[in-house]
Amino acid sequence: MPRILPQVLRNLFRRPATVKYPYVRVEPPEGYRGRPSIDKERCIRCWLCIRTCPVRAITVNKETKKPSIWLGRCVFCGECAEACPTRAIIMTREFELATYDIQQAKSE
Amino acid sequence: MMEVVNFILGSLVFPGLLFASLIGLLYIGIDRKVTAHMQHRIGPPIWQEFLDVGKLLSKEDITPAAAQSPVFTAAPLVALGAVVTVMLLLPINSAQPALTLVADLIVIIYLLNIPAICMMLGGYSSGSPFGAAGAGRYVVQLFSYEFIFILAIIAAVVRVGSLGLPTIVGYQAQQGWLVLDWRLLPAVIAALIAAQGKLLRVPFDIPEAHTEIVAGPLTEYSGPRLAIWRLAYDVETIVVAGFLAALFFGGPTAYLIGNIQIPGVVDFLIKTLAIVLLTTTLRNIMARLRIDQALKFFWTYVALLAIISLVLVLVVP
Amino acid sequence: MTFVVPIGPQHPALKEPEYFRFEVKGEEIVDFDVRLGYVHRGIERALQERSYLHNIYLSERICGICNVAHTTAYCQTIEQLAGIEVPDRARFIRTILCELERIHSHMLWAGIAAHEIGFDTLFMLFWRDRELVLDLKEMISGNRQTSASNTLGGVRRDVKPEYVPKILRTLEKLEKATEQYINICTSDRTILARCAGIGVLPKDDAKKLCAVGPTTRASGVDIDIRRDDPYDAYGQISFDVITEPDGDVLAKVIVRLREILESIHITRQAVKALPKGPLRAKITPKIEPNEAIGRVEAPRGELLYYAISNGTDKPERVRVRTPTYANIPSFKPMFVGGTVAEIPIVLASIDPCFACTDRVALVDSHTGKTRVLSFKELRRWKG
Repeated sequence: MPRILPQVLRNLFRRPATVKYPYVRVEPPEGYRGRPSIDKERCIRCWLCIRTCPVRAITVNKETKKPSIWLGRCVFCGECAEACPTRAIIMTREFELATYDIQQAKSE
Repeated sequence: MMEVVNFILGSLVFPGLLFASLIGLLYIGIDRKVTAHMQHRIGPPIWQEFLDVGKLLSKEDITPAAAQSPVFTAAPLVALGAVVTVMLLLPINSAQPALTLVADLIVIIYLLNIPAICMMLGGYSSGSPFGAAGAGRYVVQLFSYEFIFILAIIAAVVRVGSLGLPTIVGYQAQQGWLVLDWRLLPAVIAALIAAQGKLLRVPFDIPEAHTEIVAGPLTEYSGPRLAIWRLAYDVETIVVAGFLAALFFGGPTAYLIGNIQIPGVVDFLIKTLAIVLLTTTLRNIMARLRIDQALKFFWTYVALLAIISLVLVLVVP
Repeated sequence: MTFVVPIGPQHPALKEPEYFRFEVKGEEIVDFDVRLGYVHRGIERALQERSYLHNIYLSERICGICNVAHTTAYCQTIEQLAGIEVPDRARFIRTILCELERIHSHMLWAGIAAHEIGFDTLFMLFWRDRELVLDLKEMISGNRQTSASNTLGGVRRDVKPEYVPKILRTLEKLEKATEQYINICTSDRTILARCAGIGVLPKDDAKKLCAVGPTTRASGVDIDIRRDDPYDAYGQISFDVITEPDGDVLAKVIVRLREILESIHITRQAVKALPKGPLRAKITPKIEPNEAIGRVEAPRGELLYYAISNGTDKPERVRVRTPTYANIPSFKPMFVGGTVAEIPIVLASIDPCFACTDRVALVDSHTGKTRVLSFKELRRWKG
C-alpha cells in the first residue's frame, strides 16, 4: 500500500493550505520590501538615492524637482531607503503593482 | 410515432447526450475538486469543467496545416457518439436500458474501445511527432488493459450465464451483488485497475503524459474539437463507471425509504460517483509508470487476478 | 537505423529553452548532444560596466533560485580583492540564508521531479512545505525569493532575536515533513519503478567529467565546498556530507532530501550560535589591481567566481562558472543506454538551471555548423 495514502486522506478533511488570493489576502511580514514610497516633504535633494540605485531607476521629476522611481525598472533592493539620510524613502508592504498605464508605474 | 420521439428523447436528453454530458462534466469537476483537496489545496469550483468546455467551444477553430484530414475532425465526434451510445445501452433507471435493441455485452465492449481507437487515429493524423508517439503508446496500452478487462467481464458472464446486461443486473437483484461473491472478487479488482488504464489515469496516463510527450494524441487539438474530446472523455468516465456498477455492483436499484420511492437513477449516480472517486484516489497516490512497466504489470499481476477469478468461477460450483 | 529525437528548445519537460539532441535506436538512446545558448544574457559583460556595489544586484539575478549563493560568492570574491574582513555575525547570517536557500531549492527540485514522473500529489505537498522556508526567508530578508541581503563587507539585515523561536519552530516542522518524504520516496513502488536504476552516473565518470554538487555526491564522490574549503561560518559548524553510492536518479533524490535534513541541522546550529557584533565592515568604492577566486557550494553544486580589479570602482573582468555548466558533460553517461521515456526525469535529475549556464554560439543555417564566438569577436559584433 502506498505510504502517501494516509496523508492524502487526512488532507481531504483539513483546511486547504492555499487561500483564494484576490478575496483572501495574506499580509507580508514586517520589513517586506515592497513599493518604495517617497515623502517629498522630507527629501532634501541630496540625490544619494540616484547614485546608489543599482538599476538607475530613480530620476529627477522636472516639475517637483524631487526623485521619482520608475517601478518598471526597480528591483526592490531597498538600497535607496538605506541610503536616504532623512528617511524620505521607505519600503512599503505594497506588492500589487501591475498596471495598464506605464505612467502610473512610478513612485513619486 | 411515439417510438421515434422516445428514441430521439432517449438519445439526446435522457440518458443520452444531455444527461450524460451534464453528469460527466459534473463528475469530472468533483474529481478535480477532490484531487485538489487531497493535494491540500482549494482547487477549482465543481462546475469548472462546464466553464472549460464552454470556453473551448467558443474559441476559434484552428486546424494545423499538417492535420488537414477529415479523420482529424471526425475522431472526437465519433468518440463522443460511441460513448453516448453506450450510455443508451447501460441500465440507468432500471435493469432495462433506454435502447431496447438486441445489444449485449460484446457490443458495449466494442463501443467502449472506439474512443481509444479514435484517439489513436486523431493522434496519427495530427502530423505531430508527439501525437504519433502518444498514439503509439496508446496502442501498447490498449493491448495491455483490454484483454484483462474482457477477461474480468467474462468471469462475470460465466458466473451469471448470460451475455445480456439486463439479465446480469436482474440476477444481482435476486442473488446479491457479484462483487460480494468471493470467486469474482479478483476479477472486480482487475476490472477496476483496467478501468484506470482505460480512463488514462495515473499511473496509466502514459499516452498523454504531459511532461514527456506534451498532450500525446491531443497535442494539436484546440478550440471546439478539443472541447468535444473533453466531453467524450468525461462521458467515457461515467460510462465506464456505470458499466462496472451494473456489472459488479448491482446496477441501479430503486429503493423505498419511508413512503418515498427513490428512482434507480439516484442509485446509479451514487454508485458511479463512488467508482469515479475510487479512481481519483488511486490517481493521487501513485507516480506514472513507463509504458513497458505498465504492460508488464497488466500482463502479470492483473492478468493473473482475472484468470484466477475465471478459473474459480469455472471450477468451484 | 538511428533517428534523431529533439528535446527543446521548446518542450514541456524543460522549464527553460535549451536544445538536446538524442540519437535513438528504437527506444534506446545511443548518442546524446547538447546545444546551449538560448538564454544568453551577456551578464559577464554587464558586470564590467557597473560598480562593485551595483554588481551585487546583477549577480543576484544570474539565477533566481540560488540568488544567495551567487551574491555570497560574488561578495566573497570582491572582499578578497579588497582585503576586507567580514564580521562574525554577518558570516553566520550568510550561512543561515544559504542553508534556507538550499532547503527551498531542493524542495523545489523534489517537487518538479515528482511532477516529471507524474506524481502530482507529492509535487503539491513538496511545494506546500517549501512555503514554510520561503516564509522564513521573507521574514529575515524582506522577500521570498530575491533576498538582497548580502553586501560587500557583510549583510544588510540582522536576524533579530525575536525571529529565532519562529525559525526553530518552522525547522522542527520541516524536519518531520522531510523525514516523511524520505520514507515515501524510498518505499513507494511506483517511484522506485521510475527512479531506481535509471540515469546512472558511475563514480569514475562523475570524477572524470568533473560533475559537482548533489549530482556527483549521489555517485559516491565525497566533495563539498562547505567542508573542503570552508567559507562563511561553515568552519565553526559540524555537519555531514551526504553521499549515496548508486548514482541513479533515486540516489539523487535521496541525497537531496537528506541534504535538506542536514541543512536544517546547520541552520539550527547557526541560529543558536549567532555571535554578537557589527553587521558590516567598512568598504572603499575603488579596489587596487588584484585578482581573486570565490567558491561557494550552491544548492546545485560548486559555484565559482573569478574577478580582476584594476584600481577603478568597476571590475576589469568577472567570470562565473555555474554548477549546471559543470554538470552538463555528465549527461552523456546518464543518457546513453537508457530509453526515451526516461529523458525528462534524467534531465531533471541534475537540477538544471540553464539561464545561469549559457555561452554564445553561432549556428550557420545553411550548413548547420556550430561555432562558438570568441570574446574578441563578440566585442566586434556588438559594436
